[in-house]
Amino acid sequence: MSLKPGPASQSAGLARYSLAAAVYVQRLPVVSADWSPTEQRFRDMMAQMELEKSLLSDHELRLIEDAERLKRKQADDYDSDEEDVQMDQDIVLAQDLEDSWEHKFRNMQFTPRVRDDVDQDLSSVQRCLMDFLVLVSEHAVGDQKLWLLPQREWQEGETLRQTAERALASLPVGLEATFLGNAPCGVYKYKLPKPLRTDSSIGTKVFFFKAVLSEPSASSHSALLWLKKSELQSYLKPSYMMKAPKNLCAPAPVFALRLHSRATVASVACLRLQRQSGAKQQQQLLACGGGVCRSYL
Amino acid sequence: MSLALSHCISRILPQWVVQRSLLMDGRHAAKSGLYIQAMTLRTTAALRAEPKKKKKVDPRRELMVKERMRKKLKKLEKVPPEFIPIEDFMTPAKCLDEERTRFVPAISFEESERRALLLKEWSRYKQEQHMAEMKALECALEAQREALEELRLSSEELYDEALKPDLSLLPFSREGPVYTPAKDKYEAPEGKYNDTTRVYTQ
Repeated sequence: MSLKPGPASQSAGLARYSLAAAVYVQRLPVVSADWSPTEQRFRDMMAQMELEKSLLSDHELRLIEDAERLKRKQADDYDSDEEDVQMDQDIVLAQDLEDSWEHKFRNMQFTPRVRDDVDQDLSSVQRCLMDFLVLVSEHAVGDQKLWLLPQREWQEGETLRQTAERALASLPVGLEATFLGNAPCGVYKYKLPKPLRTDSSIGTKVFFFKAVLSEPSASSHSALLWLKKSELQSYLKPSYMMKAPKNLCAPAPVFALRLHSRATVASVACLRLQRQSGAKQQQQLLACGGGVCRSYL
Repeated sequence: MSLALSHCISRILPQWVVQRSLLMDGRHAAKSGLYIQAMTLRTTAALRAEPKKKKKVDPRRELMVKERMRKKLKKLEKVPPEFIPIEDFMTPAKCLDEERTRFVPAISFEESERRALLLKEWSRYKQEQHMAEMKALECALEAQREALEELRLSSEELYDEALKPDLSLLPFSREGPVYTPAKDKYEAPEGKYNDTTRVYTQ
């Protein structure tokens, strides 16, 4: 059974749009994000409170004992026979243990969480390990060269998801991604300028499909950019971003939801509301959106 | 006179009564066969007319009773299995040691105020975070709904294909973010450990 645009649109006399599928590939954060100031203060306070409510541990008791024994040794009237327990001379003090642990920790080499030089390179997959990155590629649309999410025209006989997979496979760099479901997560409709319109299509509907990058490939290409959600504004066209950002409203995992992504959500929510005609909805949601926005000002 | 009386009695009473009375009174019997039997009358206890019936259900009934008794005994003998102790719920004796109490200086008024205000600020922060997440979810759902609507307008078949569940997606597993990124060619040291978990059997 070949998949064609159904008879419904033809008989109803609706305008026929040509279909395309674009893939929204995300590179999930590799490293946990930094704590915001409120979170940092709260963490410190919690640590302090827990310390106050706790009991002394074995290690701490040992430290106290050793300190007392040292004090007794250094006193003038010290008699080693008075010691309760006969111990060997070469005893390991708890303080020495602590020092050796500290030494080991300082000698340990960790990979840095933030590397500025890699962050500047927009086409590298390893940049900004704390953020969500979106793949954006260059497309020639009409006369212009635009930065868009990788997309391909739909061909007959395949599902839209297969089109999106084809779009991903046709990139110069081989990327492996897991597609999240068969259904599209967003749509962008645009009408061609009048001279270019034909009987079969007056515009295009681009359906976005979400995918999660499985393995970051080592190679990078100049025509492909990995952008943070905040950087997308400078690369994508505003009207495209108005629709595509509906994908940006996507739920980010709790551990990575930080201030910058939430600011985007709030601003996009406000933008969305302004487009909606329903006045009631506008009022309600503007209030919520305003409430959310207020916290960042 | 007595002779006549005894004759009458012997005719009235059945023969065996007469014989018995004679046997009972040995010395009197020796004197004469027709001694006055009235004085030696003996009768058995009053007997009902119905003879004893052998009931067929009886042995079965007895068996049933025995079985019930046996079952009751078994129930009493059954000891319920001992519960496995939950070690997390039992405070170890080490924690109740008085020597282990930490000396904590009293918290000043300013400090307690600061803590209370910080807790309130935290709850506000978390609420905003939660609302933002819920909003994000709503946005995503709305976007998907719109996309599916547009798809339906364009093509029914593609819409049906899009609605099909993707069985290859689940189970989906992914390792979460770490604190420091992985080192290339890092050899983790091998550690030996003694497993001291207590295993209970019921």
